[in-house]
Amino acid sequence: MTALALDNVEMVFGGLRAVGGVSLEVPSRSIFGLIGPNGAGKTTVFNCVTGVYTPTGGRITFEGERIDGLPAFKVAARGIARTFQNIRLFGQMSVLENVLVAAHRARKTGLWDALLRTRRYHDDERSMRARALELLAIFKLDDQEGARASSLPYGDQRRLEIARALMLAPRMLLLDEPAAGMNSSEASVLKGQLHELRDRFKLTIVLVEHNMQVVMNVCELVHVMDRGETIAHGTPEAVQRDPKVLEAYLGAGGTRAPEPAPDTTEPGEVLLSVKGLAVRYGGIQAVRGLDLEVRRGELVALIGANGAGKTSTLKAIARVLPWAAGDVTFEGRSLARTPAHELVSLGVALSPEGRAIFPNLTVEENLELGAYTVRDPSARRRAMEEVIALFPRLGERRAQLGGTLSGGEQQMLAIARALMSRPRLLLLDEPSLGIAPVLVDQIFEAIARIRAQGTTILLVEQNTRRALAAAQRAYVIVTGEIALSGTARELAEDPRVQGAYLGH
Amino acid sequence: MPPLVRRIALVALTLALLAGLQYGAQAALNPYFVRILAVCAVNIMLAVSLNLVNGTTGQFSIGHAGFMAVGAYAGALTSHALDPRLAPHGALGEAAGLVLAGVAAVLASGVAGVLVGVPSLRLRGDYLAIVTLGFGEIIRISIESIPFLGGSQGYPLGAESIPAYAGLGWLWGGSVLAAVVVWNLTYSSHGRALAAIREDEIAAEAVGIDTTKYKVLAFAISAMVTGLAGCLYAHDATGGQHLEPGAFRLDRSVDMLVMIIFGGLGSITGAILGGLFVTISLELLRGAREYRLVVYPMLLILMMLLRPKGLLGTREFSLGLLRSVLPRRRGAAS
Repeated sequence: MTALALDNVEMVFGGLRAVGGVSLEVPSRSIFGLIGPNGAGKTTVFNCVTGVYTPTGGRITFEGERIDGLPAFKVAARGIARTFQNIRLFGQMSVLENVLVAAHRARKTGLWDALLRTRRYHDDERSMRARALELLAIFKLDDQEGARASSLPYGDQRRLEIARALMLAPRMLLLDEPAAGMNSSEASVLKGQLHELRDRFKLTIVLVEHNMQVVMNVCELVHVMDRGETIAHGTPEAVQRDPKVLEAYLGAGGTRAPEPAPDTTEPGEVLLSVKGLAVRYGGIQAVRGLDLEVRRGELVALIGANGAGKTSTLKAIARVLPWAAGDVTFEGRSLARTPAHELVSLGVALSPEGRAIFPNLTVEENLELGAYTVRDPSARRRAMEEVIALFPRLGERRAQLGGTLSGGEQQMLAIARALMSRPRLLLLDEPSLGIAPVLVDQIFEAIARIRAQGTTILLVEQNTRRALAAAQRAYVIVTGEIALSGTARELAEDPRVQGAYLGH
Repeated sequence: MPPLVRRIALVALTLALLAGLQYGAQAALNPYFVRILAVCAVNIMLAVSLNLVNGTTGQFSIGHAGFMAVGAYAGALTSHALDPRLAPHGALGEAAGLVLAGVAAVLASGVAGVLVGVPSLRLRGDYLAIVTLGFGEIIRISIESIPFLGGSQGYPLGAESIPAYAGLGWLWGGSVLAAVVVWNLTYSSHGRALAAIREDEIAAEAVGIDTTKYKVLAFAISAMVTGLAGCLYAHDATGGQHLEPGAFRLDRSVDMLVMIIFGGLGSITGAILGGLFVTISLELLRGAREYRLVVYPMLLILMMLLRPKGLLGTREFSLGLLRSVLPRRRGAAS
């Protein structure tokens, strides 16, 4: 039986054809993968199905009934729940409340019961809470029920979004990049969980995912899109061998493993030195007495599991987070009294996690803001030319609004914007997060070129293999402390690196 | 105690306290204090109701003075019309008159809330603020130009004056009712739906919440509570029996906004504290005469510098919170 059917669905924004006539059928109780390079239109398909967008053409039917054009809350009421590519939790609310919001439709008592606090109301509330805690327990979040959703580490936020979606008691679950930001062990836990969830809750699951290991192991059917069109469809094995897929998805070169960068340059003097750095969020100690050093001309990677404190460290160095203890010096000068915005003129620039581009400004305006501290107009122009040479794609999209770029292009923009201030030290947070492999290749090539042009880089990265291939040296961070450090080559072969990831 | 017994005891205790305010405090206290207590009660109602829209649901209204005006005039018209028949029945007649006036005020302002809310709540942020601002001004100017309502001179005085029904007990009864209604709404499944709208509308829709409907619901309930405050304000027995459109200028909406921002957006107890603070500090500054206009804004700026999220942030006041803030006494554990 078919759960969801798309018949020639089309979505045109202004002049841009984001989805051009996609047809697919998702069998009931299957796990169905929707894949394709960045900008292929996968998330747009999700948005059309869930009522965020009204498709400009075609039909969408769920369990035999048309749902295209219905408002999102009605689609949810029909039994379709979803998660979002850029996590959309109710940040200020607690973990438990986030899940409870999704129970609102299924509540058995009305407004009067709530206002008068009747016994029925209390019973209803109690049973909702019990069910919510049960779902949280599946994702091991039940012990954090009172925490603010926005305070959870990235991977936990992704899991909380799934728990919230399940609270709707859906018959279909649409997951938009569920494994983004998870390390390999977390991703493999998720792989197992998807089957369990499908069987336990009698679900049909559709996922958009870049982690090919997850897609190929979990999905029973895969639908491949490129530039808004279907290019292949079938079992994972068949799709994997399809030459069109290989070309579109993995780039013309196929699946080549990146070669470790040769260690030619002699490291210079110490550029950045971090000593005993500690960061606290309320009562939680995210970084506890961390030491590291970056020498001029180096690319140093900071790797570690989700929630280990990588991003917190980077944000603290960039002065975006206050330090609880310790000191950071840049070119021998302490940054303790330097506010974040002055850091840019000192020669340090941050390309933040989640990109944080200015969505309502054009690519060019985004870049110009990066050069805010550069007074000389000709220097600005030169910087602009350099970053566009680095990322030609941005040159093609100069006049486009930042928010309309695909995830990979936004990442390029975030890096390019940081480079516009011509920093001597680039702090690069998770450049491969949620990005198709072909673009990850391009981004890492660009990173290598940035370093070759003389910019020192401190890189935080989830993708250990990539990070160690690009870096000269690396630090492994575990629960806020440096557990291991050494040259990238040593660490790449060190079994303890996997250990740190698995949490031993 | 079984829950039902406890609930009855709580209601009885509240009623006894309100009766004490109505008959005891009003007679025993200096009329000036009675007046301040009355203004406090009205301002608490206003702050608590605005907080439901601006704090919990995350919409931005600066036109709530308009709903207050609708409630005040609807209540005054009702009690005025009924007074000749109810007056012979003494205190019971007064109570009936006030309750009926309150019902009329709540209904009228609720209808106004829906009428303004349905078309405008699709707008976001500053656009919604402009529409509500316009609404408040339209109401005030309409009243000014209707001779039947007394125009800008105010509602008819003298023999035709609005009956002075609402003593301290009624006024504070109104604020207790407002706080309980808003509290029970906010801390329920419905309230979570409203907070979800504040946090992320797209995600709220995706978990099945009809965001337009709930925004209108919050707006309507908030308008009703504000209307009730207007009604009690109009019948306030501690002040002069005078109702004029000038009382519902933009300043009134801004005052309400100051109260909830002071207390912490999203916190009901914060709104109550904010209502008390604004009323009392404006009274205390009366001695400073024209300098009040300098000192009061400075006080607000200072507050925003020291506690940018308001007194309580989004938290609610509780003994636990108090204990965590106050320094611990040594040896208290033993």
